[in-house]
Amino acid sequence: MAAIAISARRRVRALPAGPRYLAGRLGQAVLALFGVTTIVFFALRLSGDPARLLVPEGASAADIERVREQLGLTDPLWRQYLSFLGGAVHGDLGFSYVQNRPATELIAERLPYTANLAVAALLLSIVFGVTVGVVTALKRGRWQERALMPVVLVGQAMPAFWTGLLLILVFSVGLRWLPSTGYDGPLSLLLPSVTLASLSAAAIARVTRGSVLEQLSRDYVRTARAKGAGTGRIVLRHLARNSAIPVLTVAGLELANLLGGAVVTEVIFAWPGLGQLTIQSVSARDFPVVQAIVVFASAVYIGINLLTDLLYGVIDRRVTVGGAA
Amino acid sequence: MIQRSLALVAAALCLGATACGIQPATAQRGPGTIVIDTANYPSTLDPGKQYDTDTYSVYRNIFDQLLRRDPKTNKVVPWLATDWKQTEPTTWRFTMRRGVTFSDGSPLTAGDAAYSINRILDKDYGSQQYANFSVITKATAEGGDLVVRTKVPSPTLLSYLTTLSVVPEAYVRRVGDKQFAVKPVGSGAYTLQEATSGSEVVLRANPRWWGPRTQIRTAVFRSVPNVASRVADLQSRRADLATGLTPDAADQIRRDKNLAIRSTPTERVAYLAFNTIKGGPSNDPRVRRAISEAIDYRALIANLQRGYAKPINSLVTPLAFGYDTSRPGYRHDPAHAKQLLREADAAGAKLVMATSPSFDPQIVQAIQADLSAVGLRVEIRNSDQATYLKKVQDPSRDWGSIRFGRWSCSCLDADGVLYPLFHTGEIWSSYSSRDFDRIVQQGRETTDPERRKALYRQAFDVLARDLPGVGLFQTYAIYGANTRLRWTPDAVESLFLDQMKVS
Repeated sequence: MAAIAISARRRVRALPAGPRYLAGRLGQAVLALFGVTTIVFFALRLSGDPARLLVPEGASAADIERVREQLGLTDPLWRQYLSFLGGAVHGDLGFSYVQNRPATELIAERLPYTANLAVAALLLSIVFGVTVGVVTALKRGRWQERALMPVVLVGQAMPAFWTGLLLILVFSVGLRWLPSTGYDGPLSLLLPSVTLASLSAAAIARVTRGSVLEQLSRDYVRTARAKGAGTGRIVLRHLARNSAIPVLTVAGLELANLLGGAVVTEVIFAWPGLGQLTIQSVSARDFPVVQAIVVFASAVYIGINLLTDLLYGVIDRRVTVGGAA
Repeated sequence: MIQRSLALVAAALCLGATACGIQPATAQRGPGTIVIDTANYPSTLDPGKQYDTDTYSVYRNIFDQLLRRDPKTNKVVPWLATDWKQTEPTTWRFTMRRGVTFSDGSPLTAGDAAYSINRILDKDYGSQQYANFSVITKATAEGGDLVVRTKVPSPTLLSYLTTLSVVPEAYVRRVGDKQFAVKPVGSGAYTLQEATSGSEVVLRANPRWWGPRTQIRTAVFRSVPNVASRVADLQSRRADLATGLTPDAADQIRRDKNLAIRSTPTERVAYLAFNTIKGGPSNDPRVRRAISEAIDYRALIANLQRGYAKPINSLVTPLAFGYDTSRPGYRHDPAHAKQLLREADAAGAKLVMATSPSFDPQIVQAIQADLSAVGLRVEIRNSDQATYLKKVQDPSRDWGSIRFGRWSCSCLDADGVLYPLFHTGEIWSSYSSRDFDRIVQQGRETTDPERRKALYRQAFDVLARDLPGVGLFQTYAIYGANTRLRWTPDAVESLFLDQMKVS
């Protein structure tokens, strides 16, 4: 089933496998990047004026105009856009209006924190989500399912600002086991990554459960059982690989989302990642930084999607990327 | 298969571990160390650029200011300048303190002070503080003194010079503005030890400082944007001081016997401003008066501010020069408000209240409720700060009828409030009165204090008659602190480490 579903997706673009397929995908990626940044460039400029946010409260209209001029915001929009594109081609995404430093440098500083958190959260949610998914599929209708599913659903239903604060109150204020905010080493990673994982684990658990259930009804599983294989062997040898593709898809999307920066979680835990940078830059209308973040986040999203697609072929050899299944 | 799964887990953990290669901050925490939670990471460490509260808090410890305010009396007192006099109506001469050196060992001179001012005035440099110093034409070093010339006689010059940090001209010129912001060198009580972008700045006591010996050896400024997280940091003893707390957060702090609230009335005024030009119903002064009488000022202070506010009688606080204590306070008289609305034929009229998330939604809603109690329908239009500013400051003045705001000029002077809020044509003003314009213009060009006071009394008379705005209350700054920290906050919300002690 899974393989058929995949091949149905592929049929839409019937490209031959290999370099041509890759080139096509890269072309699409560049086009998508260009589209997203163009939309963001103009949408940002419709909504507010960074100069007004930069000047002292008592500034006059002339003071604001002076700042606008310095920032190059008095130029016609098309010229601003062309100079942005010109810079972007050379990897120059402009200077932050607020911090007066290259936008790419700001992103580079924040990225390790976000990547760290994203990887940790993804690992946690895969371990937890897949375990719960497999157990609830195997023990369908029994107490194990009834006990585990609500836990997952509650985790997903609680918003991050609530889960995060609750964890801080219990583990930092109450028990004083873990640091409440900021980054002091690996221990600081626990609370924010659990907060994030509580959101994505549910999605992974449900996809895993569905995928395993579907495979369980297959002939090969019945055959394996008939041969006397134990549950553990069936899960590891037979089910794992066959159920992996949908799980991989969801995990890939989650990772792409997490790498864009987890805004709420980063704010609660004072985590100096991209999420915080994003929200600060949007509210200050720090155009160059917002644009740079959008370019970066779209590139990551597109890249991870591409990578996930390529991984299908590694996991399930019946899937040949771009070719007929 | 099992082997392969194990390898996969190991690989994943490795990936996690590599990612953990980011440097843990806050490594050092000795007895002389304090940790301060602020909402924002400083925008810059170059004191000529940005000037918001959280940025000031950090860099004003690295640099000395030309003048300071006495934290108790709020009077301007000597700091880098030991003495000053107005030699002509538009010329001021400052005697500089001797023997002050920057942390790189070079001496601080009047030339450095003049450079620090001229740099802000330089258009190419692009200082966001320009508006605070724009009255100055030029600063020069003359015979070891600093001489400042202004366009017109300026009564608020000294006020703004308390915010001027002096930078080392030679060093700044040598390394350039960008590098200076990364590696600032100042003459202040502290020097920069390290900074982790977006997260924290660590300052260390400057052994060369000219002032009295400081007790705090190391200070860690952490940026923790969420109020509840700042409170948790205090409760878990991760932070010794947290700034920008809300009245409800203060309640939580008070329950912990090792924590204390430090608060003080500030010059920040909470106010309502009316659109008297294109406000619809609010164009009518009777409607504006009705609104001013519909508001339950005491309830706002007692219930929403939980006592962290004081009633005022005009649009400035008692801390500001020009406040007139003899004025009667605002009246809460809903019955009379209803009658005024009937007279103005505005009973049941609809008002648009423009606001943004930066302004306490609870207060905005309380005002809406007070106004609906006298029969006005208020529609709250909430937009993000940038959009709100664009709308409210647009010259078309087509933004609605009424808005709530908080104002602080960091200048403790009526001029810094009344002129930008109500002078015709200023970006915040949706009001126009020739009398008022003339009076406040004179007020900003008169240096004789008694004459100025008389002018502001007149200005308040005009405002009381026309009511283009209403002062709701004077706000308090609320800090949460560990009881080991001894420190008293001041009216302009400064955070000088040399005034703090820990036990």
